[in-house]
Amino acid sequence: MKFEAAPDVAEYVKKEIYPDGLEYVPLRENRVIVKVAPGDLTKVAELFVKKFEARLLHATAVDLELKGFEVLHIYDFSKFKDRLVVIVKALVDKDSPEFPSIANITWQAAWAEKEMKELLGVKPSGMPDPRHQFLPYEWPNPVESGSIPEGYKFDGSTTAKEMYLPLRMPIEEAYQTLIPIGPYHPGVIEGQIVYVKVEGEQVVAADIKTGFHHRGIMKLIERRGYNKGAFLAERVCGICSASHGLAYITCTENLYESEVPERALYIRTLLAEFNRIHSHLLWVGVVADVIGWKTGFMLTWGLRERVMDIIEAITGNRVNYGIWRMGGVSRDVPQELAEKAKRTVDALREECAKLLLLVADHPVVKSRLIGVGPLTRAQAYDGGAVGPVARASDWKIDVRIDNPPHAIYDPKVISWEVITDDHCDTFGRTLVRVKEILVSCSIVSQCLEYLAKTTGDIRIKPKTVPLGAEAVGLNEAPRGELAYYIRASDKDSSLPHTVRIRTPSYRNNAIIPLMLVGSNLADVPVVMGSTDQCLACTDRLEVIDNRDGGRKILTWDQLVNLSRRASRW
Amino acid sequence: MGSASKLEQEGEQMVDLIFTVISLIVIVPLALFLGVIYSYLLRKLSARFQWRVGPMLRMYGDLKPLLGTTRLLQPLYDILKLYGKETIVPDVSRRRLFVYSPYLSLFFAVAAIFFIPFPGMPLLSGVPYSLIIASYLLIASILFTILGPVASGSPWAAIGARREVELFLVSELGFVLSLFAVAIARQSLVIWEISSGGQSLYLALLTVTAGALMFVAMLGKLHIKPFDMPEAEAEIVAGPYTEYSGKLLGTYYLTKVFLLYGLVALFISLFLPPIATDVLWLPLYIVAAVALVFLLTSVQVLNPRYRIRNAINWYLKVAIPLGVLNFIIALAIWLVV
Amino acid sequence: MSTEIKILKQVLSKYSKPMTLTYPSGVAPDRRYSQIPEGLRGIPERDKDKCIGCRACYFVCSGRATSIYDKGEKRTVEIFLFRCTFCAHCQEACPEEAIKMTNKFEIAVPNREDPAARVLTELDLLKCKNCGTPYVTRKLVDRTYERLMEKIDPIVKETVSNDYKKLDGYCPDCRRAYGVDLDTHTKKYVWLEGV
Repeated sequence: MKFEAAPDVAEYVKKEIYPDGLEYVPLRENRVIVKVAPGDLTKVAELFVKKFEARLLHATAVDLELKGFEVLHIYDFSKFKDRLVVIVKALVDKDSPEFPSIANITWQAAWAEKEMKELLGVKPSGMPDPRHQFLPYEWPNPVESGSIPEGYKFDGSTTAKEMYLPLRMPIEEAYQTLIPIGPYHPGVIEGQIVYVKVEGEQVVAADIKTGFHHRGIMKLIERRGYNKGAFLAERVCGICSASHGLAYITCTENLYESEVPERALYIRTLLAEFNRIHSHLLWVGVVADVIGWKTGFMLTWGLRERVMDIIEAITGNRVNYGIWRMGGVSRDVPQELAEKAKRTVDALREECAKLLLLVADHPVVKSRLIGVGPLTRAQAYDGGAVGPVARASDWKIDVRIDNPPHAIYDPKVISWEVITDDHCDTFGRTLVRVKEILVSCSIVSQCLEYLAKTTGDIRIKPKTVPLGAEAVGLNEAPRGELAYYIRASDKDSSLPHTVRIRTPSYRNNAIIPLMLVGSNLADVPVVMGSTDQCLACTDRLEVIDNRDGGRKILTWDQLVNLSRRASRW
Repeated sequence: MGSASKLEQEGEQMVDLIFTVISLIVIVPLALFLGVIYSYLLRKLSARFQWRVGPMLRMYGDLKPLLGTTRLLQPLYDILKLYGKETIVPDVSRRRLFVYSPYLSLFFAVAAIFFIPFPGMPLLSGVPYSLIIASYLLIASILFTILGPVASGSPWAAIGARREVELFLVSELGFVLSLFAVAIARQSLVIWEISSGGQSLYLALLTVTAGALMFVAMLGKLHIKPFDMPEAEAEIVAGPYTEYSGKLLGTYYLTKVFLLYGLVALFISLFLPPIATDVLWLPLYIVAAVALVFLLTSVQVLNPRYRIRNAINWYLKVAIPLGVLNFIIALAIWLVV
Repeated sequence: MSTEIKILKQVLSKYSKPMTLTYPSGVAPDRRYSQIPEGLRGIPERDKDKCIGCRACYFVCSGRATSIYDKGEKRTVEIFLFRCTFCAHCQEACPEEAIKMTNKFEIAVPNREDPAARVLTELDLLKCKNCGTPYVTRKLVDRTYERLMEKIDPIVKETVSNDYKKLDGYCPDCRRAYGVDLDTHTKKYVWLEGV
């Protein structure tokens, strides 16, 4: 299957959407670049967000060295034309990289602009919340290149003490207690702080701060090249690794004139949906655990284990499948295995339906989930919710229908439906996910049926990536819409110049404080869990310890000594 | 009455005293052992409910040389391990209260089991008002699981202790109501007299209703789900025990083991007389205890945790009317029968 | 209450056997072991007889686990398993099909320097006829010649073949130095530039 752009897409954008651009460049798969002056960014944003109700996929900047920074706002216009994505570009000066902030217009850009500001050093002017998001609050501004300036002292003396010793507070303050949930908290396994101010058990204010682990994957892909990048992209997240692989491959295949055999597309869909099944099962288990129901946790994870076993048999690995290649997949699914897997999946589907609907019907579970973490459709749109969180607010968005990745999701070929729910709360999110498990099971079953009947190629050798090409790749990860932006290098055809990843949790985490206010303290972990947050995807901070001057490798004896020292008493 | 018979009587009293002292010494390790077995059962049964293996009763053949024949005493090993760990006392805590609370809690729990009979061992359950003494000692033990954490200065412990107080108030109400329903029906405040009393149809009815109430109160006291919000891990880290470590935490866990034994023993001696009196009833006593632990486990595995508000509402809606009903039945038994 | 009872039923239907499986590869009769699937991508194994030391696996290795270095008269090709991501790129890239993914998975060793953490292949290097420097493996020379002969333009085939035999056994430095003495055709590779 080939992926090509409609011939008149640039004219369409110029005529129907925004006529005043400086330049219009069509890319593959109906992606269009519109170049504007930096001053026009707010005008464009207002037009796109307010009038067209287009979603902002991501806002980011590209460092073009001497030329300056290129500020990108990527909007999704798939409502108007099939697969249309508009990339608004503005070139800002290197010396004074200022441009107007659009976070006032849409909250969707809030975190993205903070990220640009903190990690690239551009200056969006007029941001509503100028505090750091990924760097520590105390971090000097503007960002120095990776090192702490001389004379800088971490000032944690006064605030930290008041924060952590509520019982020594003055009476009037102790009435309202500030509770830090995180960075290490058993309810939320990954590192982040949600400060909740409670009055008794009632949450009166909430704030979220991220930036506790950074692995520099975007930068690493820029150094390793397209082929090796697929494995890095998979390792962004352990649970939705297939979604990241698929989004990355979709993006890189949009860089050149790609062609993918049909069987490979089916295998991609198969794995992405298996991934969704096990991720959602995991989520149901985690929520059961958070509300204190270990049995629910064990039962759903027991089912998940069987999904993992099938995945292991098909790809050879349980977590990072490592089969994503430009122009196909690296490993075929033999016919006998497909048949066998189909039988298992069909049995599994019945068991899932039986068990999960029981779980969703449990009276205590219901009492813990209904009405918790409310999010109306309008709030979801303003905050930029994606995935099951948006769909549970009765907002029908799904990348698999709107802007599908390079896999088989055509409703004419495979029968499936987008699940929405109008509960607008955690219970709605649970129902959406439980039903999506069943839908994914049926997609998987149809894919396996196809694979069991046919044979064919699984891989076509990719062509060389043209210099300076650009592409956007989207995929619906279990947690929501996942966006990759890649700009090819101007000098080397095997290396990307810029890679940007916008993960679903990046968006959903930004609206957690909104859902928390007014809820009970006991519900905080449930609300936080209800977005199925994946901090590994979200965090951006990098801290390099300059004092050691290089990495250390510990031998067995050193490790033993260290642990002995740690446990001496 | 001759002097011989007086001597004989004194001799008998002497023998009784010696027997009581010996049994008091014996009951502590015995209670520990039984409490550990009950905890083991709780863990093993909930593991099997959850499709897990749990602590092994009979070790796999090839693991025997490494891990021993059985892990029956696993809960005890866990506590002993804590005794070998470093104990950290937070700087901001009120040190004396923080350190002594676990030991006081343990002391009161152990003191409480002296007043609850075991088959063949009346212990101190024959003293006047032993029912009230035992229930007060149990309350004191729980009180010190609240006081210590409050002194620790951690917000988690503060919230956990607050929840514990709220839960304690409502569950205690049910507990006391069920105790006194039995006391009124049997016209006695001495546990030994209650547990050695006979059975009748009306008393059996009271056993069902007051027993159910006692069972519900036990759920709150032992933090069985859905009433484990004081130590709700996902919400408030470890609740009251957040700042505790090492020996102090081990002492709290030990207290819990004794409490589990004590409450199960109290339940059997009050509601299933005369099982807890004669040594011949011992097999039946064990069966009853295991059945009770099984019931506790199935409640534990089948329910998520309530919010504290839901829990209080539930107690007020279910436990208090049930308690009043018990009271009426008990009064009726007292007045009519 | 009815839901709880249904869940209890569901739970008890599997009550007799826990899902826990023990670590694979044991044989004790009273235990259930987890199974290793047929197609598990585990430790890559290299066939020493087939490997020609061409560095193809080194270039494609996604985790930079493969390294290749010459020491004395030996060329060592190694995969450091702590870094290996088991992506099978090397298996796909190997021109001689010398690398194969096995379904072995036990790579944990207490020390990084342990040879069990590496897949090592040592190949003998060919010494230069002239200066005695070890420079390349015999098999690489032969295989390159074979493949060259398969794909070469018939017009220049004879010239290239003759030159190849003349140059055989000399290291790159010596070839450069003694190119005139050996009388090789200087422009024979011109045809390659168009490819």
